This record gives sequence, C-alpha cells and structure tokens, in this order.
Amino acid sequence: MEEKMTLLDAEIGKTYTVKEINTDDDDMNSFLFRLGCYTGEPITLISKKKKSCIVAIKDGRYNLDNLLSEAIII
Amino acid sequence: MRIAFAGNPNSGKTTMYNALTGRSEKVGNWGGVTVGRKEYQLKKEYSGGQEIIAVDLPGAYSMSPFTPEEGITSEYVRTANPDAIVNIVDATNLSRSLFFTTQLLELGIPVVVALNKSDVNAKEGTEIDVDKLSAKLNCPVFKTVSIDDKNSGLKEMIAKAISLAGTIQKAPYMQADINLHDKDAVDAEDRKRYDFVNKIVADVEKRKTLSTEVGKADKLDAVLTNPIAGILIFAAVMFGVFWISQTWLGPLIADWLVGWIETFQGWVAGQLENSPAILSALLADGIVGGVGAVVGFLPLVMVMYFLIALLEDCGYMARVSAVMDPIFKRVGLSGKSVIPVVIGTGCGIPAIMACRTIRDERERRATTMLTTFIPCGAKIPVIGLFAGAFFNGAGWVSTLSYFLGLTLIFFGALLIKVITGYKYRKSFFIMELPKWKAPSLKYAFKSMMERAKAYIIKAATIILICNTVVQVMQSFNWHFQAVEEGAENTSILASIASPFAILLIPLGFGVWQLAAAAITGFIAKENVVGTLAVVYGLTSFIDVDELEMTGGASTVAATMGLTSVTALAYLFFNLYTPPCFAAIGAMNSEMQSKGWLWGAIGLQLGTGYTIAFLVNQIGTLMTEGHLAAGFLPGLIAVACMVAILILVSRKVRAHFDEQYELHKGKASRAAA
Repeated sequence: MEEKMTLLDAEIGKTYTVKEINTDDDDMNSFLFRLGCYTGEPITLISKKKKSCIVAIKDGRYNLDNLLSEAIII
Repeated sequence: MRIAFAGNPNSGKTTMYNALTGRSEKVGNWGGVTVGRKEYQLKKEYSGGQEIIAVDLPGAYSMSPFTPEEGITSEYVRTANPDAIVNIVDATNLSRSLFFTTQLLELGIPVVVALNKSDVNAKEGTEIDVDKLSAKLNCPVFKTVSIDDKNSGLKEMIAKAISLAGTIQKAPYMQADINLHDKDAVDAEDRKRYDFVNKIVADVEKRKTLSTEVGKADKLDAVLTNPIAGILIFAAVMFGVFWISQTWLGPLIADWLVGWIETFQGWVAGQLENSPAILSALLADGIVGGVGAVVGFLPLVMVMYFLIALLEDCGYMARVSAVMDPIFKRVGLSGKSVIPVVIGTGCGIPAIMACRTIRDERERRATTMLTTFIPCGAKIPVIGLFAGAFFNGAGWVSTLSYFLGLTLIFFGALLIKVITGYKYRKSFFIMELPKWKAPSLKYAFKSMMERAKAYIIKAATIILICNTVVQVMQSFNWHFQAVEEGAENTSILASIASPFAILLIPLGFGVWQLAAAAITGFIAKENVVGTLAVVYGLTSFIDVDELEMTGGASTVAATMGLTSVTALAYLFFNLYTPPCFAAIGAMNSEMQSKGWLWGAIGLQLGTGYTIAFLVNQIGTLMTEGHLAAGFLPGLIAVACMVAILILVSRKVRAHFDEQYELHKGKASRAAA
C-alpha cells in the first residue's frame, strides 16, 4: 500500500487539499471540521518546526503539534 | 430584556460588552479569555432608558461544544431564551464565523450580526458587501469596531437588536430532519451547511491579500514559536516584566508612597498622644501600620498588572502557548497551561478559571492544581518584605521565587503524570494564532486601576479586619486582661499559634509569631506582611533605605529571630503552600472532584513544607557547618509525605491499569 502523505510531509508555502482527517477522536475531528479543516478543503503550510507547525485554514492561522499534523492526510 | 452576545472565540465579544455596559471584564487577544457567563445592564445611552441586560458568553465555534467553556454558550442560547442575540463575527475570518451564525439563526431567536474588527479589514483591503450579506442571511448586519466604541456602528447595531426582540426571522438555512445520533448523517448535514456558507462568502467578500500568503507577521511568528529563540524571548519578556515592576519602576513609586503612609501614621499617633496606650497601639501600629505595610507594595502590583495587560492585549499569549507546548507536553501538561501561569502572576483565581479552556480533563486538573505555585500579586508584598529586610532588596530574591515556582510546576506536573498513568492518553494541541494588534494603553491603564481598586478594598476590609483581630488577640490573654510586657506568650494569639509553631521547628521558624502570620496568610497572602508588622510592631521595616542606615538585616533578624537562611525558608513556605481560601474555592469548583482537590491541597502543603525544610537544613549546613534544629522529626515528616504519595499513586494506577485492560479487552473483542 502506498504511504499516505500527511501534513508532516507538506512543503512550506504550498496549499494542499485535505483528503482525510483521522485523529481517532471524534470530537477532535469535528472540531477541526468547524474550523474549516475537512476533506476537500484547502490547507496551507505557513511554517514548520521540529515538533509543530503553523497552518492557514480558511482565513485563520493555527499552531498544530505533530500528533495532529500526522492525522491530517493531504 | 436580555440580549446574548455570542460568536467565535476572540471575535471581540467582551470588548463590545464592556463598551456597551461600562464594565471592565477581562479581555485579551487570544481565544478563550472569557470562560464564564457575565451579565450587566446596558448603559443608558444604548438602552434608551429601558432595562436591558447584556449577557456576555464565552467564544464558541459552533453549537456542539469542544472545550468546557464552549458548552456554557451553546447551553445558554439553547435553553435560556434570550430576547435577542448579537452574533459577533470576526470580519477578518468571515468564512469560518458564518458557520456558527447559521446555527444561531435556526434557534428562533432574532439575531443581529455585528461584523466586528471592520477596521482591520479596511486596513487589509478586504471588502464585505454588508447589504448583500444581510439579504443572504435574512438578518440585519452592521459593521462594528469594538475597540473604538465612539466611531463605529455599535449604537445602531444594539438599537436594532433591541427593536427586534420578540420578532421572528426566517432562517436562511435549516438543518434537515436527521437522526442526531447518526454520525454520518450529522457530518453530511454539517458539510452542506459549510457549502452554504462558502457560497455566501464567495459572493460577498473581496480580498486584496489572500490569507495563504506568507507575510511579515508570519515571519515574526516563525521566530516566536521557534523552540529556542521563542523560549529565550519569552524568558526575557517575563524577566523584563518582573524587573520593571519589582526592581525598577515599582519600588521607585513605592518608596514615595511609603513616605506618605509613615507621615500619616505619625500624624495618627500624634492625635492619639493623650489616649490610652492600647488604643494608640491598635490604631497607629495595628491598623494604619499593618494596612500601610500592605498598601506600600501596591505600586509593584500595579506596574505588573499594566505590563501583563499589554502582553495579553497584543496577541503574544497564543504564541507563548504554542512555543511552550512541546516542553509542557513532556511533563504531561499542555501549551494552554502557560496562559493560567502567566495570568497567575496577577491573581490565582482568574488563573484557575482560565484552565477551563484546556480540553483534556487530566491536563486541566493538573494545571489547576499547579498554577498557584507561581507567586501571585498578593505574594509580592511578602517577597518584597523579605527581599528588603533580609537581602538588602536584592532583585534575585524575586527572580528566584518565580523561577522556583515554575520549576515546581514542572516537577509537580511530572509527579502527577507518574501518579495518574498519563502514558495511555493522546493529547493534541491546536491554538489559533490571532492577528497582532497594537496593545491599548488605555485598556492596560484601566486594568491596572481596576486592580489597584480591588487591592485597596481588600486592604481596607479583609486585611484591616484580620490585622485588628490579630492585634486584639495578641494584646489580651484568655481572661481578657491586657497582656503585660514580657508576658507576650500568654496572649490568645500566642496560645493558638504555638502548637502550629512546633511543626515548623524543622523549617527554622518555629515561633508563634511567624506561625500566626503564615496562618493568616491563608485568608489573604498579604496578611503575612500585615500580621508580621503587627506582631513585631515593625512597620518601618518595609523601608529599604532606612534599614540600610540602621544596620539592615541584623536589626530585623534580631527582632524576628531569623537568619538569612531561615528567612528564605519562611518566604518559600508562604509562597508554595496552598494559596488563599478564595483560590482554593476556585480550585474546588473547577476540579469538581474532592479527590483531586484534597490531592492538590496535600501536594501544595507537602511542597511548601519540603522546600522550606530543605532550604533551612541545607542552608544551615552550608553557612554554619551543622544541621538545623529538628532535622530528624522534619525528615520523618517528609518521609511520611513521600510514603502517602506512593500509596496514593499505587491505588490510582492500579485502578487505571484495570480500566485500561478493560478498554483494551473490549477493543480486541470488537475487532474479532
């Protein structure tokens, strides 16, 4: 099976389309949904650190930890 | 009539509420400042003389709550039937905000949309067609700027909301009649709702700069959230705040204020020259002296509040939270735990309440338990007094106090992590980084004055009463006869405090005066200073300059019977034992678990005791070459505390492992 690409593999400044959100946590999934982060929607990586990154979802900026980035398949 | 204020986090609800009611509730540039419901009457100029109550609610992204404080909002608009809702929409993030708007419009309560932060949009060249938006939502829409209540559509907006009360609006989007327990059906419905919103936004909004472009602010954020640079900057910023408020500007103003208080005290004593000695002692030394000793430190607290307000207002807190998350996670807390800690430098109660935004229950309770280790504003007089009297006002005493507080939070968190078996749980971190904003000096000034008012009221009520009671209790014995000179040990205060004092011998300060001060500290931490001033009749010892002239530390040390080492032990004991009763009450209501509450109090008592014990014993060994009195009993006490800790830990973990096994069993059966 082909390895899924997650937000961890994203390039800075590039916009991707969310393919799947899989946090194993229904509440977290729907929280991300309400921010506008769900299948079919764009997400842009703004900057990246060792353990976290900053993304643009809709018109907002969010800091995510790697655990969450890993659950966002792009 | 009640009008509810609802909207996404950090859209400016509380700022608008403050502008409309004249209140000064806490505001800040990050999501989750407001964690509870607030109600107050609208100002006359907005209500037109009617009695209209504005209800400020915590921010929410939707009607389905994610964190505890979001639940307050959806619960309120659903069940409390407000007469109208003002939906505050962050105009810079219309596409996200309207999701909640369409849900509010379905409730059958008239809604007015306040398109807030319109000034930011104007600056960024984003245009929103208000009339079109209003037509599409089938509800009135007004452009507003909460931070500038004079020149914005606030008045028209609120007038419209008042006039709409009791009317019915037709919702532009109604959720289909689906089974709300069917997850897939709900997801599909939410998706349709977002499609509806996206269509509206595409129609009414024109952007000059796309939000996906990496701008100057993003470069700044990249530095501030960098694990090395970001943490160094945060350390430098906090050091700056403490240095300015407690070493430089604060004491400068305090010196001047103390001069005035002493003049006043002298004047009172002069007026009472011909009165009975006991009355003069009570009024001049007890009341004016004791309260004065506390009020003298007010400038330090005020300057700090001013600086913290600036930090909160500009948007830095969210960045701090982001940069600290990896470190805090390592000890089982969350990046969001930083916010209570920073707020806690001012007062522990709002800090404890701020923990509500932490989603994970264990992380939330652990933060609640630990946040008061950071010295609060009420402990500043205690630090100031000891630094001034025993260490020539050295700045390192205060720096060390905060640093040790932070260290204790880390170690405490690690301890809780071990006890509660954290390893089984997953914890995500997501924090919105709000747009930067120039901090408002006016707001910071207001926040500072508000605090000063509260501080003076506290000094004039609780602390005054406590000082008076302490003064009376030490002036009389159980037969209500005045205590004679040389027989101070027979006073009511001495006989009550003496049994506690015995427990404090291993810590180096086992005298009843110091025990009494520590006990009154649980009512309010400023009392430690007030009570010491009363029991030792030493009101001028807060004046650093004077002490330097008269030989300083040795004079006070002789009076109080403390060496530098025991003074430090006593200071730490007061800083790291449980906070005041009010803060313990806040802890109780936030934790909602007697087990956790008693665990917290036990941990704090144990920590304060152990730290003081170690400082006293090791310090005495280093300075005098031998252990201090009561080493063995103290060691036994500490050993008992450790034993209790191990027992509790075993019990909790056995229970936890059991639950985990059960859970795993279920999962594997389900898989089969």
